[in-house]
Amino acid sequence: MAQTEKYVLNMGPQHPSTHGVLQVQVELDGEKIVGAKPVMGYLHRGIEKLMESRTYAQCVPYTDRLDYVSAMNNNLGFCMAVEKLAAIEVPERAEYIRVICAELNRIASHHVFIGSLTNDLGSATGMIYAFRDREKILDLFNIICGARMTAHYIRIGGVAADAQEEFLRGAQEFIDYVPAMLDEYDRIFTGNEIFQARMQGTSIITRETALKHGMSGPNIRASGVDYDIRKIDKYGAYGKFDFEIPVGKQGDNWDRYIVRLKEIQQSANIIQQALDNMPEGPVMAKVPKVLRPPKGDAYHRVENTRGELGFYIVSDGSTKPYRVHIRRPSFVNLQALDGMCQGMLLADAVTAFATIDPLMGEVDC
Amino acid sequence: MGTYFEKENLDLLKAQFDTAEYDPEQAEPAIYIGKNQLLDMMKVLRENPTYSFDRMANLTAVDYKEYFEMVYSLYSRRFDKWVTVKVKLEHDNPEVESMTQIWEGTNFEERETYDLMGITFLHHPDLRRILMPDNYEAHPLRKDFVPLEPRIEGGVLTWHKQKSMS
Amino acid sequence: MHSGIIYSAAQGLREVLMSLVGIPIIVDIIMTIICASILLVIMATSALVFTLGERKICAFIQVRIGPNRVGPGGLLQSVADMLKLMDKEDIVPKGIDKWLWVLSPILLLVPSALIYAFFPFDDGVILADVNVGLFLLIAITSQTVLPFLMGGYASNSKYSLIGGMRTVAQMLGYEVPMVFALMGIVMLTGSLKMSAIVEAQSNVWFIVLQPLAFLIYIVTALVESNRPPFNLVEGESEIIAGPFTEYTGMRWALFFLAEFSNLMCIGILTTTLFLGGWHGPDFLPGFCWFWIKTFICVLFYQWVGWTFPRLRIDTMLSFGWKVLLPVALINVLLTGVGIYIYNIM
Repeated sequence: MAQTEKYVLNMGPQHPSTHGVLQVQVELDGEKIVGAKPVMGYLHRGIEKLMESRTYAQCVPYTDRLDYVSAMNNNLGFCMAVEKLAAIEVPERAEYIRVICAELNRIASHHVFIGSLTNDLGSATGMIYAFRDREKILDLFNIICGARMTAHYIRIGGVAADAQEEFLRGAQEFIDYVPAMLDEYDRIFTGNEIFQARMQGTSIITRETALKHGMSGPNIRASGVDYDIRKIDKYGAYGKFDFEIPVGKQGDNWDRYIVRLKEIQQSANIIQQALDNMPEGPVMAKVPKVLRPPKGDAYHRVENTRGELGFYIVSDGSTKPYRVHIRRPSFVNLQALDGMCQGMLLADAVTAFATIDPLMGEVDC
Repeated sequence: MGTYFEKENLDLLKAQFDTAEYDPEQAEPAIYIGKNQLLDMMKVLRENPTYSFDRMANLTAVDYKEYFEMVYSLYSRRFDKWVTVKVKLEHDNPEVESMTQIWEGTNFEERETYDLMGITFLHHPDLRRILMPDNYEAHPLRKDFVPLEPRIEGGVLTWHKQKSMS
Repeated sequence: MHSGIIYSAAQGLREVLMSLVGIPIIVDIIMTIICASILLVIMATSALVFTLGERKICAFIQVRIGPNRVGPGGLLQSVADMLKLMDKEDIVPKGIDKWLWVLSPILLLVPSALIYAFFPFDDGVILADVNVGLFLLIAITSQTVLPFLMGGYASNSKYSLIGGMRTVAQMLGYEVPMVFALMGIVMLTGSLKMSAIVEAQSNVWFIVLQPLAFLIYIVTALVESNRPPFNLVEGESEIIAGPFTEYTGMRWALFFLAEFSNLMCIGILTTTLFLGGWHGPDFLPGFCWFWIKTFICVLFYQWVGWTFPRLRIDTMLSFGWKVLLPVALINVLLTGVGIYIYNIM
């Protein structure tokens, strides 16, 4: 009997497919993975600390840099937490625009997911197709706020400026394009035999494990848990729209992919409803120039593209937050990585990184 | 957002744990609990079928200069209910029971709190720094934090207290 | 006995040389040197052309524009790349096995250059038309495993080592079905001589007589040349670049060159073995047909490569051993039966 020895392969922080600067120490037995230990902190900028020395309005741009592929959702989470703390009512039109932007950004973020997943599976072609379509959304953001990724569009009390006719028309055009886009994805990769073989039945997260690790977002929904904060909390204008929560069956890589594909469809559905019922009116509440929320604390969560994004803000009555804590979904989700990789092959580890979809800006914060 | 934990239930908890208290004036009062009874109360909150707070939504610590405060936001998926649990810890050598014993998914969040706030979690399976370098000796989120100075000694990045901070 | 422009040109050149030098052996040597240099030039230029071609085709498939800055329409892009690669710093990592590490890219280029000697480019245009041509060809191409393994082992990097080991595993798994698939052709031809194989296809191409073997060959050829979806050896999202992770500059360029040379080799081999080689309607000379077919084959391989995701090592190996090998054996059996029936009739 040949003697074999386990060895540790250090993947990252400089590796083509670790999604930024994630470092994973993979313990291998041949090509089989025994364990995978994520090592984080390469992108730690101390955003929580930085926020303590900024006024509330100045904190918003920092949230752009958390999950930088879905900046709008982060803006939304932080602003809603501050609004909760300071009891600010947001005008209805602003709520609708917020939903449109957040959902567009969710689609854009899922494009990045699809792109990086297909790239990690060895098909660079898929990536380009996904990024081509993401570009359309980024262009829309460019119209509405002048920035493509770090939007800083959703502000405390509303949105920075009213949505232009051009933006609304562009959003409508994009929504009309979504079915054709999804159909194309189906033909390029979803229907591909190799793609399916690589994804189906690999890196399973069971329902119990997902709940145990406190996972959220598409990752927990793929494991069959019907948990979407948009639906549960009905924050903002989400209570007014009718949409479904796609849920997976067994929680393998394939389910995590399919759930996100279906989410794109549902997001498009939400945007369509928001565009159709868009009310008129102001887009900014009366917020004092110098915002001093009353003493106290508030925790508010929103459904980020990666899951439950929570902001815990403590106010001491001054213009700056006393303490901000950000509950980052990717950070919590990463705990499942070890279990997902065990018993899989090296190639599956890469798929697992991709489908759990961590974003290092958010993980390291 | 779902509803907040009812005051009747808070009273029940108060009767069960002598260190538990809350401010009845507030609309959504947090339960303060002594750190020795924290683990027991959390177990009740999680396992009692009328509460069933199965999700540790958020876990963090706040430095109030005189003391630390651990803040736990619990959420019950079944009843769509919230409750906030707070524990005060002394500023020197803050220690608290690890919640990984009840919610395994708090592992990383507790490591982060340990790393950035310097709170030791007892019975944590793997309490190491998670974001800061392993040889970093300060806790950045504390209010009295002074950034350490990086220096390369013998090819290794080391961190030193700044000499003058006038 | 042979027709064709290149053959006649070579014949003419030989006569001129003969009248100048007069000693047959020296003329032979000079002719061989000339032919070999022409082949090397073809190899080198084709790598340049193919890099650009591949990038343009890949860009077309990926709804991009591709290189369009250097020269008219980006034509000089590969030249610029080559210059850039030559200019790059030659990084030699610590802890490597120096000799093996240095030799690996050079040795890799040897077999991929060597096999050009066995390709019949046109009627009578073949550098070494040996009796065991096909056999030698297979033997030489399988030598590419060794430099990969050497590079992987010598680099002192786990990624490289995994890549090197994967090469061995996949070569073992796919060399066997490939040989058995080609066996059908040899049985039909009754010879291992490359020119004889092409000659046997003057009426019917072997793709018609050996469809199964053709399919098996396409798959195994992709594996042999490390093209996607079988590019596990250098699976860039898992093991970065496999055996050539630690190579830079010109050393890396040699790997790159060998890869493109291999791609062209499988194109040429597909043409020669299954698509009738230089045979074609008379309005174009034989070598034109040869290159047209080769380019179509290469285009096909690139198309496949840019469309599919990468396979996983276990699925790939089990596919080789459990599907391709039995099918190849059945193909041999069917061919034998077919030949027997044909002979009876």
